[in-house]
Amino acid sequence: MVQQDIASYIYQISGQNPFLCMQCGTCTASCTGREAMDFPPRTVMRMLQMGNLAVLDLKSIWVCSTCLICTARCPRGIDIARLMEALRVINLRRGREVLVAEKIPPELLLKVPQMALTSGFRKLSA
Amino acid sequence: MKIPYFPGCTLHSRAKGLDSSTRASLAALGVELNELPQWTCCGTVFPLALDNYMGMVAAARILANSSREGGGKLATVCSFCYHVLKRVNHAIKHNEEVRQKLNTYLEENYTGEVQVLHPLEICRQEVGLEVIKEKAANSLKGLKVACYYGCMLVRPAAEMQFDDPENPSIMEEIFSALGAEVVDYPHKTACCGSYQILHDSGLVKQKAQEILGSAASKGAEVMVTSCPLCQFNLDALRESYPELPRIPVVYFTQLLGIALSLPEESLGLQEHYVDARPLLLGRRG
Ligand code: SF4
Ligand code: SF4
Repeated sequence: MVQQDIASYIYQISGQNPFLCMQCGTCTASCTGREAMDFPPRTVMRMLQMGNLAVLDLKSIWVCSTCLICTARCPRGIDIARLMEALRVINLRRGREVLVAEKIPPELLLKVPQMALTSGFRKLSA
Repeated sequence: MKIPYFPGCTLHSRAKGLDSSTRASLAALGVELNELPQWTCCGTVFPLALDNYMGMVAAARILANSSREGGGKLATVCSFCYHVLKRVNHAIKHNEEVRQKLNTYLEENYTGEVQVLHPLEICRQEVGLEVIKEKAANSLKGLKVACYYGCMLVRPAAEMQFDDPENPSIMEEIFSALGAEVVDYPHKTACCGSYQILHDSGLVKQKAQEILGSAASKGAEVMVTSCPLCQFNLDALRESYPELPRIPVVYFTQLLGIALSLPEESLGLQEHYVDARPLLLGRRG
């Protein structure tokens, strides 16, 4: 994947065009995970526009909780959650994952609702 | 009135109280939920990569099976199940490629005709607030309730078609009709952090502090939700972080059950970490 291709690769997976972004920051202001992210969604968009491949290594894409607030509020109509998913999917399809069953504390495993496990593994495990 | 019902995995295991209180409170309102004879997990999350058709298969199978139950409706209460079933149904209805691929794989001929209904919608549209008011004792009078919607019920609005995505009011309408004093607080459609509980529980703790703190500052005595994961994240985390506000977090069907004077066994309130029973049980008429 050459540098300028990241935006079109993302488009292929998500149907979303990062070049529509006008950098208003509404997504960042609304984002659930922003305090835990290295770069918030607005910056993720800018990195995609610049073809910066470091975007694939951000913590942000794994901290996203797919809450769709950004998607609901983007004045440019970008489905940012789909874009974040595309960044995860590129990693996951190469076996790069962040949620490993063995590392979940057993006390938590015995208590969490099953849906947390299914959704967590679907989003964060290869 | 009988409606086919998909409980979902969590309601058969760690959120039995949501299942029993949903069945019992709707039964008291004249709606019988008939569990589908066979069902699997819905998949819990709607796949956002365009080529991930496999992520929609489970929900498509449930929808196709439910269409054979007759009546053209399917009820489900867990916010995640509702979200996935509704979005997959929408995709089958409006996206020819999705429809074709899923039907070919499943050897079905399903076109998205089933209407996926949430018990909140059943209360408002199928039963009606007037009827609910009649059947309920006035026992929630003055109770300060914070209605919490979270993410999955309301977004994305175009596909969910549930309520206003920024300021939903269906729960407020129901509980105000029952005499409760609903509190207005800015976090009702904020996200609790969801599955990040497994990966970044610090984030979930921060969200719980914001959401519970915001409701508490408006005087809420109890918070209601329809999502077992929101319930867990907002409630159970207080075992590890006792500094979080102690407002009980219950399912809206449990509070509805209180208003309908249902027996304690059908409510499942003992499942929660911060006990709502001292506050609520005495309010049954
Ligand atoms: S809200 Fe939309 S337009 Fe604004 S910065 Fe975020 S992605 Fe760009
Ligand atoms: S979907 Fe992800 S990026 Fe968007 S607001 Fe939610 S946590 Fe932030």
